[in-house]
Amino acid sequence: PLKQITIDIDAMRRQRMEVNVELRKAKKDEQILKRRNISFSSMGECLSPEQEKKNAVSTLSLEEIVQAVNGNNPELHLKATQTARRMLSRQRNPPLNQIIEAGIIPKLVEFLSHNDNVTLQFEAAWALTNIASGTSDQTRAVVEAGAVPAFVALLSSPHMHISEQSVWALGNIAGDGPMYRDSLIHNNVIPPLLALVSTSSLVFQVGFLRNITWTLSNLCRNKNPYPPLEAVRQILPVLIRLLKHEDKDILSDTCWAVSYLTDGSNDRIHVVVETGILPRLVELMASPELSVVTPALRAIGNVVTGTDEQTQMAIDAGVLTVLPQLLQHPKPTIQKEAAWTLSNIAAGPCHQIQQLITCGLLLPLVELLDKGEFKAQKEAVWAVANFTTGGTVQQVVELVQYGVLKPLLNLLSARDGKTILVILDTISNLFLAAEKLEETEKLCFLVEELGGLEKIEALQTHDNTMVYRAALGLIERYFASEVCGLESSITCDTGNLALSCAPL
Amino acid sequence: MELSDANLQTLTEYLKKTLDPDPSIRRPAEKFLESVEGSQNYPLLLLTLLEKSQDNVIKVCASVTFKNYIKRNWRIIEDEPNKICETDRIAIKGNIIHLMLSSPEQIQKQLSDAISIIGREDFPQKWPDLLTEMVNRFQSGDFHVINGVLRTAHSLFKRYRHEFKSNELWTEIKLVLDAFAQPLTNLFKATIELCSTHANDASALKVLFSSLIQIAKLFYSLNFQDLPEFFEDHMETWMTNFHSLLTLDNKLLQTDDEEEAGLLELLKSQICDNAALYAQKYDEEFQPYLPRFVTAIWNLLVTTGQEVKYDLLVSNAIQFLASVCERPHYKHLFEDQNTLTSICEKVIVPNMEFRAADEEAFEDNSEEYIRRDLEGSDIDTRRRAACDLVRGLCKFFEGPVTGIFSGYVNSMLQEYAKNPSVNWKHKDAAIYLVTSLASKAQTQKHGITQANEFVNLTEFFVNHIQPDLKSANVNEFPVLKADGIKYIMIFRNQVPKEQLLVSIPLLINHLQAESIVVHTYAAHALERLFTMRGTNNATLITAAEMAPFVEVLLTNLFKALTFPGSSENEYIMKAVMRSFSLLQEAIIPYIPSLIAQLTQKLLAVSKNPSKPHFNHYMFESICLSIRITCKANPAAVGSFEEALFMVFTEILQNDVQEFIPYVFQVMSLLLEMHKNDIPSSYMALFPHLLQPVLWERTGNIPPLVRLLQAYLEKGASTIASAAADKIPGLLGVFQKLIASKANDHQGFYLLNSIIEHMPPESVDQYRKQIFILLFQRLQNSKTTKFIKSFLVFINLYCVKYGALALQEIFDSIQPKMFGMVLEKIIIPEIQKVSGQVEKKICAVGITKILTECPPMMDTEYTKLWTPLLQALIGLFELPEDDTIPDEEHFIDIEDTPGYQTAFSQLAFAGKKEHDPVGQMVNNPKIHLAQSLHKLSTACPGRVPSMLSTSLNAEALQYLQGYLQAASVTLL
Repeated sequence: PLKQITIDIDAMRRQRMEVNVELRKAKKDEQILKRRNISFSSMGECLSPEQEKKNAVSTLSLEEIVQAVNGNNPELHLKATQTARRMLSRQRNPPLNQIIEAGIIPKLVEFLSHNDNVTLQFEAAWALTNIASGTSDQTRAVVEAGAVPAFVALLSSPHMHISEQSVWALGNIAGDGPMYRDSLIHNNVIPPLLALVSTSSLVFQVGFLRNITWTLSNLCRNKNPYPPLEAVRQILPVLIRLLKHEDKDILSDTCWAVSYLTDGSNDRIHVVVETGILPRLVELMASPELSVVTPALRAIGNVVTGTDEQTQMAIDAGVLTVLPQLLQHPKPTIQKEAAWTLSNIAAGPCHQIQQLITCGLLLPLVELLDKGEFKAQKEAVWAVANFTTGGTVQQVVELVQYGVLKPLLNLLSARDGKTILVILDTISNLFLAAEKLEETEKLCFLVEELGGLEKIEALQTHDNTMVYRAALGLIERYFASEVCGLESSITCDTGNLALSCAPL
Repeated sequence: MELSDANLQTLTEYLKKTLDPDPSIRRPAEKFLESVEGSQNYPLLLLTLLEKSQDNVIKVCASVTFKNYIKRNWRIIEDEPNKICETDRIAIKGNIIHLMLSSPEQIQKQLSDAISIIGREDFPQKWPDLLTEMVNRFQSGDFHVINGVLRTAHSLFKRYRHEFKSNELWTEIKLVLDAFAQPLTNLFKATIELCSTHANDASALKVLFSSLIQIAKLFYSLNFQDLPEFFEDHMETWMTNFHSLLTLDNKLLQTDDEEEAGLLELLKSQICDNAALYAQKYDEEFQPYLPRFVTAIWNLLVTTGQEVKYDLLVSNAIQFLASVCERPHYKHLFEDQNTLTSICEKVIVPNMEFRAADEEAFEDNSEEYIRRDLEGSDIDTRRRAACDLVRGLCKFFEGPVTGIFSGYVNSMLQEYAKNPSVNWKHKDAAIYLVTSLASKAQTQKHGITQANEFVNLTEFFVNHIQPDLKSANVNEFPVLKADGIKYIMIFRNQVPKEQLLVSIPLLINHLQAESIVVHTYAAHALERLFTMRGTNNATLITAAEMAPFVEVLLTNLFKALTFPGSSENEYIMKAVMRSFSLLQEAIIPYIPSLIAQLTQKLLAVSKNPSKPHFNHYMFESICLSIRITCKANPAAVGSFEEALFMVFTEILQNDVQEFIPYVFQVMSLLLEMHKNDIPSSYMALFPHLLQPVLWERTGNIPPLVRLLQAYLEKGASTIASAAADKIPGLLGVFQKLIASKANDHQGFYLLNSIIEHMPPESVDQYRKQIFILLFQRLQNSKTTKFIKSFLVFINLYCVKYGALALQEIFDSIQPKMFGMVLEKIIIPEIQKVSGQVEKKICAVGITKILTECPPMMDTEYTKLWTPLLQALIGLFELPEDDTIPDEEHFIDIEDTPGYQTAFSQLAFAGKKEHDPVGQMVNNPKIHLAQSLHKLSTACPGRVPSMLSTSLNAEALQYLQGYLQAASVTLL
C-alpha cells in the first residue's frame, strides 16, 4: 500500500497547553490570580461608625507613617497602619511600591502577631493583602518579611474578620506561582484552612466561604511543578463538599480548582476522578451561570485528555448529553472549549466514538463546523480529524451523511496553515474509508462538487511545505486520474453508494 | 584575502568580466569568484565595492553577487563546514542595515533580500540588535530609509503567515511585538498625518503611501497567528485609520494605467485583507468595527471602475463581503431588501460582465482563458468573487436573491433579444448569473430531491441554450456558444438524459467551430458526457445511442486537431480516447484510418514533445485501438505492429525520452496479444532492452520490467534456447534493481517471472547466486517493502520448485539458514504481505513447507512447525499489518511502488493481474486442510499432537473450520 504522503496526525488527545507562549491578552474568562481588597467588603462593616469617622479625618504622609510604625505609640501604630491600608485600598494607583520602599512591611508583619490589638492586626493584614495582590516582586516583599507563618497562624484567630483577611492574603500569595504555593503548603496552611471550611459552612457568611474557596483554588493552581499529591488528596474531599453548595461564586472557584487539578498527566487526573466527582461536575456544565460552566467544562475537558478509562468515566457521568447544548452555547469561548472536549473524546476507541454518535453530537458538531466562530471551528476540525482517524468505516460514513464535507472543505480557505493541514489529513482519512467501500470515485465527485477540489488545487501553491505536499498528495492519489484520464473503464466498481450528503 | 586596495581592484576586474557577453571571458571570471568566495574578507570586499566603487555598474554587480553569496553560504548545515568565518558574519551583520538604508534603491533591494536571508537564519538569537536598529530608523523622518526598513521587516515577518504555531515561533513573534508593535503604530499614525499635510504633493504622497502599504502588510503578518495583546489594545487606532484609508481618495494618486494597480488600490486591497483576517479569526473582538467596514467596502465596490487594475482590490473586497454575509450574527447587515438589491445590482451584476479584457483573452489567448474558465484557476477573478458572494448571500437569502436576479436575467435576455449582435454580452451575463445561482443548488442536490426551485435549469436549457447551439452558423457569437456548451457541461447531472442526447449532435457539430475555445469546449463536453454513469454503473450514454454519430464524431474530432492552435489540444485528444472507449467495436471499421492518423500525429509530435497530457491521451487512444481490434480479431495484432514499429524504432533511435516509457508499454500490450510464441522482430530487440543506459532512467524501469515480463511469459523457452547467453544480462538487470530501495520491487517482479517461466535447468547455475544477492541486500538495508517482496518470492520459489528445494538451497548457503529464515522472517513478517495474489502465493508456499518438507517433521526445524502454521492462519484471518517502522516513515514517496513520477502508466495498456497459482489452488484454506490431511495420513498421530501442544485456541478453531469445509479429518 502507498504510504501516507502527509505526516500522520494520529488521533491524539491534545492537552490544553500546546504552546506556552501566548500572544493573546489574558482572557477575562480565566480565574483571577490575585485580588486587592478595594472597597469595604464584609469586614469593613465590623468597624463602628465612630471609628470610621475618626479614621476618615486622619491623614498622615508617608514619612509620618514610617515614623509612626517605627515608634512605640500603639495608637499611632494603628493610625499609621490604617492610613497605609487606606492608601493601598484606593481605587486608582495604589502606592504599592512607595509603601514597599518605605520599608514598613516588616513592621506590618510584626503587627500581625499583636493578638492584643485586634484592630491593628486586622489593618495590617488588610494592608499586606493588598501589597501581596500586586506584581511578583511586590508579593515577594510580603513573603520575605515573614508574613506567611504569621498569616497561617492567624487563620485560627478567634476573630472571624481577621481569619478571613488572612485567608485572602494567603490566597494572593499562593496565586503568585508554584514556588510560594508550595511554601504555603509546607507552612501547613491546609489543615487550618480546611478546618475553617468544616466549621464555617453553616456559621459564617457566604462571603467568607467564597474567600476560602478562592484561596483553596489558588493552592491547586499552577504547574511546573504541580502541587504535591499529598496536598491535593487533602483538599479534594473539601472541594467535593463545596461543589454541593448553591452559591455560584463558590461553585465557580471550586470548579476552577478541579480544573487545575485535572490539567496534567493521567495520574493527576486519576487522583481527581477516583473521588467520584465527575457526575456533579457534568451537572454543573449545564449550569445557567457562565462563571460555573466555564471551569466545569474546562475540568471535564481536561479529564478527557486522559486515558480511555478516564474518558469513559466522564462519558458515564453524562458528559455527552451536555455537550450538544454547549456546542451551541451563545458564548464562542464555550463553543470552543466544548469542541475541544469533544475532539478528545473523538480521539478514543471506536466504542466511545459510537457513544458520541448515539448521543447526537454529530449534528451540532457539523453545525459548529459550518457556522461557529473561527476558534471554535478550529477545534471542531480537530474533532472531525480524530473521529475519522479512529472511527470505523461505518462511523465515518455516518459522519459524512451528516454533511461534514461541505463545511470541512469550506474551511480549506481558512487563514491558518495548521487547520488546513488537519483538514487535508481528514480528507485523506475519508478517502481511506471510501476505498474500503470502493466508493473512491463517489467521494472524488462529492469533493469536487462541493468546491473542495479547486481549493485543494489552490493549496498546491501554499507557502507552507507541509500544506502543499499534503494537497499535492491528495491530488496525485485521488484526483490525478481525473486529470490524466486514468479513471478506468477497466476496473469496475459496484456496491451501494453509502457516501452521500445529508440534506442541509 | 586582505581588505586591500589591490584586492578591491582585482575583484572589480573580475566582476566586470562577469558581465561580459562573451562566455569565454565571463565563465572563467565566474569560476574565479567561486574559487575565492571561501576566503575570509571576501564578502566584506564586496560590501566595500557596492558602497564605494566609483562605477555604478560595479556597485550593482557587487550587490547582486553579494546577495547570491549569502544565499548560497549563510546557512550553516549540520555536519558541513561553516562556509563564512565568524568575524565576517559579525562584520556583515554590523554593517548591512546601515548600508542597505544608505544605498540607492537598486542596491537597497539586493541588500534587503540578503538581510532577510540572514535574518531567517540568525534572527532573533544570533542577531539581537536587528530590531532595535530597525526601529531606531523610524524616527529618522527619512521615508526612503523608513521604507527600506519596512520592506526588510516584511521579508522577515511574512513567514508568520504560513508557519505552524510553535513555541519557538511564538517566542520570536512576541519578541518582535514587544520591540516593534508600538513604534509601528506610532509610525502608522505619523504617516497618516503626513499624508494629510502633504495632500497636495504628489511625489511625497507616493512615498508615504508606499510606507502605508508596507505597514498594512506588516500588520497582516503580525496579526496572523493570533490576535496579539498589543493590537487588541490598539484596535481602535488601527481600525479607525484603516477604515478612513478605505474611504480616502486623492486625485494625485490615481494612475492612468489601466492594467497595473496603483498605490491606492494596493493599499485598499491589503486593508480588505486585513479586515477579512480579523473578521475570520477574531470575530469576537472585531465585531464592533465590522459593520463600518462592510459599509465602507461595499461603497468602495460601488464606486470602483471596470479596469483591470482594480481587479485584485475588487475581488478582495467582494471576498470580504462574501465571508461576512454567511455568518449568522451578521445576517442583519444584509437582510434589508434595499441592501440586497443594491448589492446584487451594483456589486454582483457589474462584476459578472464580460469585459473587453475577457474578450481579448477569449480570442487571442484561448489557452489561458480556458484554464481560467474551465479549470477553476480563476480564484482571484472578479467573476469568481461575485459568484462566491452570490453563494454566500444564498445561505440566508436564497429566495430574495434569486428573485432579484431572476428579474435581472429576464431583462438582460430581453435586451439581447432586441438586438443580439450588439447585446450578446447581456446574454453572456445572464447565463453566468444563472450558473452561479444554480450551482449552489447543485451542491445541495445530493441526497435531496429538491433542486433550486427558483431556477428551472431544464427550461432555461431548452429555451435559451439549445437555440444558440442549434443555429446553423457555428461561428456566430462564439462566446455565447462557449457559454452554452459550458452550461451543458456544468449541469450534465441535472439536465434530463433526453436533452443530453439532443445535445450530442450539436456538440459534435461545434467541433468544427473555428474558435479554439468553442471547439475545445465541445470536445470537453462530449468527453464529460461519455464518462457519466447511468444505472448499473454502465455509461449513461450507450454505444448504441451513439451509433448514428460514430462517423461524424470521429471525423470531426480529428478534423478539430487540424485547426491552427489546436494541433496538440489535450481536450480533443482526451475526447478521442473517451470516444474509443465508449464506442468499442463500433470503431473497428474506421481503425485503418484512425491508426494512420494517430501514427502520423505521433510522428509529428515526437519531434518535440511539449504537451504531456496530449501525448498521454494519444498513447491511450493507440492502446484502445489495439485492444478493441484484437479482442475481436487477435490476428490483427500484426497489422498494428506493422503500422507502429516504424515510428517506435524512430523514437527509440532518436531517444525521445518522454515517449520511450509509452513505447515499451504499447509493445508489452502488443506482445501479450500473441499466442504463446514470440515473433522474431521482438527477439531481435531483446539484447537492446538489456543495455544499462536504458535502465538508468527511472521512468523507463517500470515499463521495461513489464516488457521483459511479457518476453518471459511468451518466449521463455525461446530465450533459453536461442538467447541463453543473455540470461546473465537479464540477471544483471535484476541485480541492479534489487540494490535500490526505490526499485527493488521491480527487481522482484522480474525475478518472479524468471522463476515462473524459465525452464528450471536454464537458470540452475544462477540460483544460489540469486539467493546470496538477496541475503546481502537483506543485511545491508532491510526495509518493509523489501521483506514483503522477498516473502512473495521465496514462496513462489517453493510453489514452483518444491519446499524441499527451498530448504536445500537455503541450507546450502549456510547450515541452518532455513530455520533462521522461518523464524526471523517468515513467521514474524508474513502478516505484512499485501495483495490478494501475493497472499495466496504465500499461503500455498507455506502450506507446502508445512506438509511437503520432511525436515520440518523430523529435525530441529520441527519446533517451528506449529508457529509457522499459526502464522499462516494469521495470514488468513488477521487484518494486514500495515505498520511501518518509524525510521522508514520518511522514505521518499517516489520509493514506494505504485507511485509514478517520471513514469506515466497507461490505463488502457493495463496488465491483467497474473495469478501463478491460480490453476493449482482455488481456495488456499481448503488447500491447507487437504494438505494437512494428506500429511497426517502419511504419519498418523503426529499432526494432531503438534496441534494440541502449542497452537493457540483461536487458531485451532479456525483450522477446524477449514477442515470441516474441506470435509477431511486429521489422523
